[in-house]
Amino acid sequence: MTKFSERAQGFPWPFAEGETDFRYSVNVEPARVRRTTATGGWGEHLVDLGGSDYTQLMQQRREVIAAHPERRRVLPGMEMACWDLLLYYLRDMAAAYPESMHLGEEGKNFHWRNDLLGTDQAFTFGQEESLPTDPLTFLASEIPDDLVLLTERDGELFFDAGLVTFAASWSVSFNVGMSMTEIHGPVPRMTAEGMTRRAEIFMRQLQPGQAYRRLNWSTSKHRGERLDTSLETYREWESEIPQLVEEEDWGSLQLRNELQHFVRLPMTGTVAFAIRTYILPLAEIREIPEWRDQLASILRELPEDLATYKGFGDFREEIVDYLAQPADSMG
Amino acid sequence: MTDQRRLRVTEVRSLCPEIRQITLEPLEGTALMGFQPGSHLILHAGEHRNAYSLTGDGIMPSRYTVSVLKRNDDGGSAWLHQHLAPGSEITAEGPVSMFAPVHNQQHALLVAGGIGITPVLSHASALAALQKSAEVIYAYKPHRAAHVDQLREICHSAGFRLTEVTSAGNCRKALRDRMSDQPVGSHAYVCGPMSMLESFLEIGAAAGWPEYRLHLERFEAPELDPGEEFALRVSGSPEDLRVPVGVSILETLESAGYSVPNMCRQGVCGQCQISVRSAGSLEHRDYVLTEEEKAAGGSLMVCVSRGTDVEVAL
Repeated sequence: MTKFSERAQGFPWPFAEGETDFRYSVNVEPARVRRTTATGGWGEHLVDLGGSDYTQLMQQRREVIAAHPERRRVLPGMEMACWDLLLYYLRDMAAAYPESMHLGEEGKNFHWRNDLLGTDQAFTFGQEESLPTDPLTFLASEIPDDLVLLTERDGELFFDAGLVTFAASWSVSFNVGMSMTEIHGPVPRMTAEGMTRRAEIFMRQLQPGQAYRRLNWSTSKHRGERLDTSLETYREWESEIPQLVEEEDWGSLQLRNELQHFVRLPMTGTVAFAIRTYILPLAEIREIPEWRDQLASILRELPEDLATYKGFGDFREEIVDYLAQPADSMG
Repeated sequence: MTDQRRLRVTEVRSLCPEIRQITLEPLEGTALMGFQPGSHLILHAGEHRNAYSLTGDGIMPSRYTVSVLKRNDDGGSAWLHQHLAPGSEITAEGPVSMFAPVHNQQHALLVAGGIGITPVLSHASALAALQKSAEVIYAYKPHRAAHVDQLREICHSAGFRLTEVTSAGNCRKALRDRMSDQPVGSHAYVCGPMSMLESFLEIGAAAGWPEYRLHLERFEAPELDPGEEFALRVSGSPEDLRVPVGVSILETLESAGYSVPNMCRQGVCGQCQISVRSAGSLEHRDYVLTEEEKAAGGSLMVCVSRGTDVEVAL
């Protein structure tokens, strides 16, 4: 049965069964646990390669890195943390995907092979000149996740390094160096209701090697397949949603979902924050009765400030109506 | 709770009377996880679970080393001394990091007393490996100078300085002397007996060190006041428990048949943290929660802390 598209089958649906309203919460759970959904399932691995779109995704990522070197920001003193991150993820991927990913280890010498992308690279831990790029760029070219590194100083977590190509209308250059509280300032209710603080305490208590995850959803800021809606390229995508609204093309509006992982890296204690972005158009969601009904109920109920922040405050009624109409009556 | 794994003992070496260095390697086909300097490993020693500082630098380790001081005849350390030999296997948890270096420190002052040398050696090795600077004060009894040769060698690195002292009086003198002469941006770390930690805090404060730049690793805790009897309720359970004078919440829960993760039972390790639903008052006596967390009252280290009319969620 291939009733649903590949991306719908692997889409990490962000709402629990029976959930009919949404508020922010510190919704964290252990990583690497498979969840089943109305269409399939997700979540058994730390890194989700996706399906047949993996190579296309990585192509998109590599193009953004090449065109926008400023998407990589690494503050001084974060070099070791980048190596810690690289090694953690390569070891994880070799264990998760033994049929296509391989990591040979001998002391500080490694040999990484990714058969899907054709990567074949030997390197020495800690020696940047043994890699074709720095370790953060190397890893970001192998996995679809955006990567942020947080370090603890005087009881607060700071965004001290990152390589982010698929930001949901934010900028790594703007945010680097900020504290968790500063970064979450624009999110309605988040800091005022104590969630930023609790999330921070949670991340500080993660033990070395432990990995947790959460989901974070919104409506997308763009129409097509592109995932790069960073503030750096604002001019390229700013007109897409106004145009969609003008055309009342609600089926092309996409639910954008982030599968976020938190890992305490063992050697440096740095918290890695990895963001894997998924998009699914409402036209496809409308074909899935459980998802359609639940999303309509959640969108209808959401308070104004959250609806605005999540991107659909101006056309909430229209998309709720769209989801309520049976797909076949639209012709 | 961290994951458990089996490790193989590859070497047991006597460093000085009563202190043995145990080298552990992974079983075939597994890599050891790296660790932050100052981390510890929890070893299952007979019926005991004891924490021991890892002495290596933590960068891509191929083996773990711990140094075990035999404390008495029937504890976990005695069990390790008696049972471990090359080839034996042991269950370990961790590494757990609770005494990590501050990531952006400009310089470190490391102070060790006796077996407290173990996490300090780890910090010093990592700083030397990363070509950073540090100063070390090591106080020891002359016949028990574990790791002193290794430490001297590390302190030959550029940017390092070592002061060795062999009496409590000289230790206070060295603390006064060295704590008043560190560069701006330094953080100071101490691991040693209670009296040394107190001197470190007192002399550090007098020398103008802000509290957040002073870091303590405790391996013993002071005697606690037995406290008063109070009522304890477990959410979802109909009956009230009484916590008697001189008995902990942890012990009370255990006698009532509840199972609570725990290890040090003296407010140091952080494993027995329990959510508090409500309380008339709370008396936090642990070294784990921050002042802010204690004030918020959301949780309690049940091995040492007390209160009145406490309701906990298990």
